[in-house]
Amino acid sequence: MASVSATWFYQDRGLRGIASADAFVTGKPYSKNFQSSFLGSFPAGILQVRFHLNNSQRRALLLPCIKCEKEDESFKEVSVERPPYYSYMDSTSGQLEPASGARASIPGEEYWPEGTASRVRAARAPEPTGKSLGSPSYGKNPGSRRKYKTSVAASESSNVSLESSDPLESESSVDTTEEPNAFSSDYVVYETEPEQEETGYGLDKKLGLPHPFIDPKVKKPIENTLSIEEQWWNWKKPEKEQWSRWQRRRPDSETVFLKAMAETGQVKIYGEHPTLTETSLYRARRHLFKEERLRAEQERLERIGPIAYYSEWVKAWKRDTSREAVQKHFEETGEDENTQLIEMFCHQTDREYRVMMGTDVRIPRDPLAMRMKEDQIKQIWGGDPVYPTVNYIQDPDEVIDFRGPDFHEPTPSMLAYLKEHGKIISREELEKTLANEKTEELEMTDMDEAMARAVDIGEDDDEGEDSDVEVEEEAGEKITRNWSVLKSTPELQKSKEKPKKENPLSLEEAIDDSENLTDFLLDFEEDD
Amino acid sequence: MASSLPLHHPTHCFISNPKLKSFHHGCSPRPSYSFATDIQNHVKPIRATTETPPYPIYQSTQVEESLSELEPADPDFYKIGYVRSMRAYGIDFKEGPDGFGVYAAKDVEPLRRARVIMEIPLELMLTISQKLPWMFFPDIIPVGHPIFDIINSTNPQTDWDLRLACLLLYAFDRENNFWQLYGDFLPSAEECTSLLLATEDDLLELQDAKLASAMREQQHRALEFWEKNWHSGVPLKIKRLAPDPERFIWAVGIAQSRCINMQLRIGALVQDSNMLIPYADMLNHSFQPNCFFHWRFKDRMLEVMINAGQRIKKGDPMTVDYLRGQKNDMFMQRYGFSSSVNPWDVIEFRSNARIHLDSFLSVFNISGLPEEYYHNSRLSNDGDTFVDGAVIAAARTIPTWSDGDVPPIPSMERKAVKELQEECQQMLAEFPTTSEEDQKVLDSMPEARRTLEAVIKYRLHRKLFIEKAIQALEIYQERILF
Repeated sequence: MASVSATWFYQDRGLRGIASADAFVTGKPYSKNFQSSFLGSFPAGILQVRFHLNNSQRRALLLPCIKCEKEDESFKEVSVERPPYYSYMDSTSGQLEPASGARASIPGEEYWPEGTASRVRAARAPEPTGKSLGSPSYGKNPGSRRKYKTSVAASESSNVSLESSDPLESESSVDTTEEPNAFSSDYVVYETEPEQEETGYGLDKKLGLPHPFIDPKVKKPIENTLSIEEQWWNWKKPEKEQWSRWQRRRPDSETVFLKAMAETGQVKIYGEHPTLTETSLYRARRHLFKEERLRAEQERLERIGPIAYYSEWVKAWKRDTSREAVQKHFEETGEDENTQLIEMFCHQTDREYRVMMGTDVRIPRDPLAMRMKEDQIKQIWGGDPVYPTVNYIQDPDEVIDFRGPDFHEPTPSMLAYLKEHGKIISREELEKTLANEKTEELEMTDMDEAMARAVDIGEDDDEGEDSDVEVEEEAGEKITRNWSVLKSTPELQKSKEKPKKENPLSLEEAIDDSENLTDFLLDFEEDD
Repeated sequence: MASSLPLHHPTHCFISNPKLKSFHHGCSPRPSYSFATDIQNHVKPIRATTETPPYPIYQSTQVEESLSELEPADPDFYKIGYVRSMRAYGIDFKEGPDGFGVYAAKDVEPLRRARVIMEIPLELMLTISQKLPWMFFPDIIPVGHPIFDIINSTNPQTDWDLRLACLLLYAFDRENNFWQLYGDFLPSAEECTSLLLATEDDLLELQDAKLASAMREQQHRALEFWEKNWHSGVPLKIKRLAPDPERFIWAVGIAQSRCINMQLRIGALVQDSNMLIPYADMLNHSFQPNCFFHWRFKDRMLEVMINAGQRIKKGDPMTVDYLRGQKNDMFMQRYGFSSSVNPWDVIEFRSNARIHLDSFLSVFNISGLPEEYYHNSRLSNDGDTFVDGAVIAAARTIPTWSDGDVPPIPSMERKAVKELQEECQQMLAEFPTTSEEDQKVLDSMPEARRTLEAVIKYRLHRKLFIEKAIQALEIYQERILF
């Protein structure tokens, strides 16, 4: 027994030092406990332990190690899982389509060109096997490789025939010897417990039924993922199940703006989203709202001071920006407001700067638009053009409403507008102005009028001395005598009518009005 | 040198011209050509007799002999051909004491189309066209070779076998030629049954003077040819082809017995040619053949095809009709074998007695046209095995009369029958030996020379045939309906 105990070694934990005293069956899971209990009760319990050990030793010998009959058998692991791709049937041949590089199926024998069938048959013919006994004589001895030689050597040939038949007989005997081996072993085969059947995912995987790639029980969520809100690509699922994405609320720039306005408190809308009425009201008055906002901004700037105001765009500036703090700072350091402002702007990043300034300083940016939330901006103006967001999709059939705030007003008259702004003046005014200019220059004497009357040819001397009015009236009547001239020259008629309206006409004006001197030929036939 | 029996190829050549027969190419193949490992198959008892083309299948009048002494041939036999793109489908080459034979490796159902069992390319053959200008396929003879002159000197009409023999001998000498390998499987001089190699004694044993003289002439002719062209002053190139006359005569015998005459179409040219075809000449002869030759001109292959509608069992010998419609002496002269059931055999009757043809045919249930008499087994009882080729030959050779619907007068018939029988008996009596004696002689010398064996068999068959004719007449006499 002692020898037995001495030779037993540990295989686990390397506690070989105690090998001599303890004899443990290797691999027993409770060996450690054994050891501890053993050590504790060493002197007293040796006998007992040894006894115990004897039993265990015997048990170790008695319990047969169930081994395979053949030692070197390695079981090939074969899974019946279906391949992870789809397989299709080829339309022409009905066979399984190859996975890649499919060529058209080869037609059957009926469609082969002539001679192909015989070539195929010749190619398919199996090669002859067999070893020849003789060797060729290359034309020297014809008939040398025949088996049945002449009758003279008939005895030899019969020997040959016997020999050749022997190997054939031995072949047949080989088959019979293999069978008894299978039953000659005297191992008893124990039936082990049947393996636990797999269920659920394991079963699906084994049988090749559709299954997720990862066992859902073992599955862990991926670490270090951003929340939906943090993701800039924003793969947000819609709130409620919708049949199509076109059913969602289509972002309208006005709607979004109105909503943003409602959120900032500038406008009150009834519910969460503005209704059509509210949107149309907004559309009518959006310029007002913008002015309001700009005014509010100004107000704010004045109220809280520039440092506090601009600190909105300087994220890195954490200090107190109220007026009191600035005042205090000024008192402490002597830096005035501008200096402090400059100091603050030193902490501004260029992005913030760009946001603050915009691209064009001349365009006053709407402060609401500047302060809108990311998703709201995206709804109106879209997101990153390189990585576009999902929400930027616009309805291609949308009719964009360009109507402005004075949509309900009629088309304003440009004339009135221009007149209002003094861009144009009316013709009367123009003439008035011109007339004012002209009457300054021209002041004719009566003499000239008389001289003008004197230019008369001579027929109507008496009437020429009358008043001009009469002359003119008669001239009007007289001219009716020369009706053909009058009719053919309509401007004569017109030019005559004009000076009639305005009674006091100076000589110069009269000369200017007249076509030629014939205009002064007035009233010739009034005597009769 | 023309002998009385014309040696030139008979008029009925194997014309396997696609026009005449409607067999198509490209049958579905028999993929398994296997050397039958079981020689103990139920092969029918064939005394495949002599070699040169080992020959026929007897009808079951023969006693069933114990099974085969047939063994599969040397595997190299097929291998040398396979390597050179010759193919054999579903057949085995087997060798028996009487020589090579081709046997079916598996059962064949009767099909609509003829099935190819062998295809042999042109390159393996030795072919000479029959008419001038002689063309050789494949063209192995170089232009300056003196053998060319020898061949040129032959008589175009009659000396086809001499040309073939020269070609064969040259092929043996030519390096890398297939015939150097294949020649090892040809029958050697001792095994060859061709009567050219027969001695004088053998010829005397023939008991047929005409045939004997014919053979003597043949031998003489061959010898002369050899002496003329292989004299001592001939260059070594020629001399080593046939150093002695025996070799040359053996070659002539091979050429005569293994030659196949076919009409070939090569390219656009159609010509009759004499061909020595390697594997196809191992086919035996039968009067009811199951194979035929077909020339596939597309890739210049000779196909050996099974007759359409032919049912073949495993182990059946594949046979071809060598000569169509020739008597035994023609077969003997050319091939060196004979058959007792040659349906074309002829007995020359000298008397005027005639029997009624129609009743004779109906007694034995022979139907068909005179060219194609066959035993109609549907009419007869199944157990009737008397009718064989000999009876058919008798039907052809026995003088008959047939005059429309005129019925035979029984008494006259009987008289005629008696007369004919007497004449046959007379003929039998003329022979020095009887058939039993011949049989005894055959049995007594199992190790006789091949030619002697063939000769004795020849006369035996002749007698058997005459006896059969007598028997047939007897039966006819009995069964004449009154």
